Amino acid sequence: MAPWLASGFIYASALALTAGGITLLYMSTRTFNFAHASMATCGFYVVYTGCALYGGAPYRYLPLAFLFGALLGVICYFGLNRHLLRRGAAEITLMMSTLGYDLILLSVIQMYCDYLTFGLRLYPRRVSMSVYDFELFGTKAASIILPLIAIVFITALHLFLVKTKFGVAMRATIENPVLAGASGINSDRVYMTSWIIGGGMASLGGAAMAMAMTGTPVMGMTTIPFMFAGAILGGLHSLYGGILGGFVVGMAEYAGVFALSKQFGPWVLGYRMGIPLLLMVFIMLVFPRGLAGIPWAALFGRLTGKKRGVSA
Amino acid sequence: MTGAEGFISKPKGFLPRREIMVAIIVLALLIFLLMNRGMPLVLTILIQIAIFAIITMSLNFEVGYTGIPQFGRVLAVIAGAFAVGAIPGRLLAMFMGLPWGASYANNAVNYKLVPQLNEVLAGSWLLSVGFLLLCLLMAAACGAGIGWLMSRPAIRLKEAYLGISMLAFGDFAMWVGHNWEPLVGGSTGVYVPDPFRVVYGARFQVVVITIFVFALLIYLFINKLVKSPFGRSLKMVRDNDVSAAAAGKDIVKIRTQSLVVGAALAAVGGGLWVIYTGTVTAFGFSRLVFTFWPWAFMMLGGIGSNTGVVLGVSLLQILRTMITTYRFQLFGFLIAWKIDPIHLDHMLLGVVIVVVVLFLPHGLVPENVEPVLPANRVRRVITDGLEPSKPAVNRPLS
Amino acid sequence: MLTVKNLNAGYGKLQVLYDVSIEVPGKGITVVVGPNGAGKTTLLCSIMGIANVFSGEVLFEGAPITGQLSYMLAKKGISYVPQMGNVFAELTVMDNLQMAGYLMARDEVKHKAEQMTEMFPVLKKFIDRKAVTLSGGERRMLAVAMGLMKNPKLMLLDELSTDLAPIIAERVMLEVARLRDELGITILFVEQMAKRALEIGDTAYLLVSGGLKFAGKACDLLHEPELAGLYLGIKQAPAGGPVQIIPSSEGSG
Repeated sequence: MAPWLASGFIYASALALTAGGITLLYMSTRTFNFAHASMATCGFYVVYTGCALYGGAPYRYLPLAFLFGALLGVICYFGLNRHLLRRGAAEITLMMSTLGYDLILLSVIQMYCDYLTFGLRLYPRRVSMSVYDFELFGTKAASIILPLIAIVFITALHLFLVKTKFGVAMRATIENPVLAGASGINSDRVYMTSWIIGGGMASLGGAAMAMAMTGTPVMGMTTIPFMFAGAILGGLHSLYGGILGGFVVGMAEYAGVFALSKQFGPWVLGYRMGIPLLLMVFIMLVFPRGLAGIPWAALFGRLTGKKRGVSA
Repeated sequence: MTGAEGFISKPKGFLPRREIMVAIIVLALLIFLLMNRGMPLVLTILIQIAIFAIITMSLNFEVGYTGIPQFGRVLAVIAGAFAVGAIPGRLLAMFMGLPWGASYANNAVNYKLVPQLNEVLAGSWLLSVGFLLLCLLMAAACGAGIGWLMSRPAIRLKEAYLGISMLAFGDFAMWVGHNWEPLVGGSTGVYVPDPFRVVYGARFQVVVITIFVFALLIYLFINKLVKSPFGRSLKMVRDNDVSAAAAGKDIVKIRTQSLVVGAALAAVGGGLWVIYTGTVTAFGFSRLVFTFWPWAFMMLGGIGSNTGVVLGVSLLQILRTMITTYRFQLFGFLIAWKIDPIHLDHMLLGVVIVVVVLFLPHGLVPENVEPVLPANRVRRVITDGLEPSKPAVNRPLS
Repeated sequence: MLTVKNLNAGYGKLQVLYDVSIEVPGKGITVVVGPNGAGKTTLLCSIMGIANVFSGEVLFEGAPITGQLSYMLAKKGISYVPQMGNVFAELTVMDNLQMAGYLMARDEVKHKAEQMTEMFPVLKKFIDRKAVTLSGGERRMLAVAMGLMKNPKLMLLDELSTDLAPIIAERVMLEVARLRDELGITILFVEQMAKRALEIGDTAYLLVSGGLKFAGKACDLLHEPELAGLYLGIKQAPAGGPVQIIPSSEGSG
């Protein structure tokens, strides 16, 4: 695999996970989670700490990263989000509250980096995680393992949401909280689970992202527009749309820049972030409801001749 | 009806007028406390307060008065800063026959060229004042242009979508400035010719006074604007755009105007900032500093309250400076763990946002709800119905 | 079974109900009727803990349940069929029924779901289809079936006749009457289609602008010339004649 394609796969899988988390949180709690930025960075530092202090491949610390992100999500839910949801706060207020949480986390990350630097004599402020990686089939192992992990995780999530009783209850609550409450579903538990999954996805995505780029304390902060772009591209009301959106944004950024720089020269590389943005703007102007809002069924239904909505 | 009292009475202000005065005195005392660290520090704080007051007031104009989720404030600030960095210096160089094309922004040329321009400016009061006004005019024009561009998607997109798109474009503008050298010198940045060179000894003081005058003018301008019929239309769109449209307001036009005015004001703030610092570097304009900080200031002060915003900026800026100045005395315990307390700066902003959101949702100075009719008349209308002798609406609603 | 005492309730700062007291006796249909915007739905919402209760008390089987979250009330055996959004549109019919029986054991859910599909055969046909593809009447059936899933002691029904063709509305009403007669469920029934509702109901309350105007037997309200005519659009025929309905304000919302 060409190096740009390998990095592209890693990065796109990471964005798929983070954008999926953002979409899930937005769907269930109406919260546009700014804290995804620092939650992702935290996931990266969990893996980095593990690798730097205890050695071994970075992948073995991924479950730990997920759990740490889930913990951060639960703290956010019980400390902030729950009270605001009970109060029926506006979307902007919910968004701002997570921004505050994000800044607190950012400050804690910076302090932790100080501690690693001066206390443990490490260099945590510019980390290339690929030095801990190994080769697999002649390419970076991360470019095979991380997409696989993302696929396995998303499949598991899908099965959870479709097959288990609590998963269906989550979908029910997301769609209609009032009726779900009247049916006996405790929405509190559903929202907490969304924060567990969403936070975990953020950290997992952050840990994966660091395999494709330089890990810094502000890694999440610099990449959050792309996570948002992915979620918005997906349309914000379908989890799978969000995941797909994240993947498309990530791939567009890497593949698009590679293609353009071959055509026009290396100066294009500096404007990397313009590509997903243009893509986002284009999709939103044509389909204001995002990728999930594109009438796929109608498009392909016409091709296959399948009729929709056979009603009695 | 019991409901009547609820909606006529003003929301209970956390800080009525007298308390604002007290707060100002406290702020003055805090500044006095910092004075033993030297006059420059105090002046720096004052400049920061004034600049961020301008930017936050412009943000409040869009968020608080028009209800646009402006998460891309940095975009307009960048427009102003880049305009000042790129245009007026070039014009001056052109008139003097110096290189002014793409090479103007080249670091090797720029660091020799700008001192030459400064010498010219230092020689003439008239030229200096003209140059300053030209800078700000350029900033405002570019800001207005960017605001207009931002308003194009604003017609189609809803709340969160709009906020996030603007956030992303703010970042993009920063990257363009960083990569495209002919604009503002790319990663090395450019110097800005200094119109204050003409006052030799007292540059700092004059800069403070100038920026304060502009901040005051903008404060008065916004206050005047939101009390005008245009301001009432803005609030109408904010509170209920459907009913505003039904009442004959062109929502698209009103939102566009608000974005243009807000962006122009923020750009003036950005322009003043680079005139004060003397350099423009693209990476100096991060979303954290020029979007998220103003949001925190605004939320603390009270969304929709111009006075509150100024108070919020002053309070937080002074607190931040206190932390960074006295960090070793106040947070010695962190040093023991080899942690630099400077990172508490973000912590402060984060905690302020969280506390405001949870416990002070209307901020320190809640917005004054001013009924178009006097309160006693509204009460009479509610309890007795409209008097038949007078026409139903004797003052236009907007 | 359910007692509402001096209830003042509304949304946020807006008060909708003023000093409402009702009593729902067991094993019967209690009908709450009234014109648009009278606060009928708000009454159900404040019982279910969705609207804000400012003062007053709600007692269920003698125990106070004021302001409890709705999932706790579901545990106590109250089921609620809202007017709008009463099915999970994105879930299949089977999943909908399973969600309605969220608090029950697995095999009990299965058994009960079978019972429901027997009671409403139309659901059996579409058991694996998303609820969003059902027609208005089928959806309403599904909603009632969901309400019945957990063997409720008390069922709150909100405006069953909304968006149904008059003939189907009639059938749904008869269905409700059958529920009482066959299953012995207590029903609190809020309805705009006042005449039919009063015909099947036992106890009736008339709610106007957030206040009670009538409390008593359903048939008494039906034949109360002034109230029924003024607020419900039921015109009293000359003595002995059939009851007539003014079409313009009937069954339209």
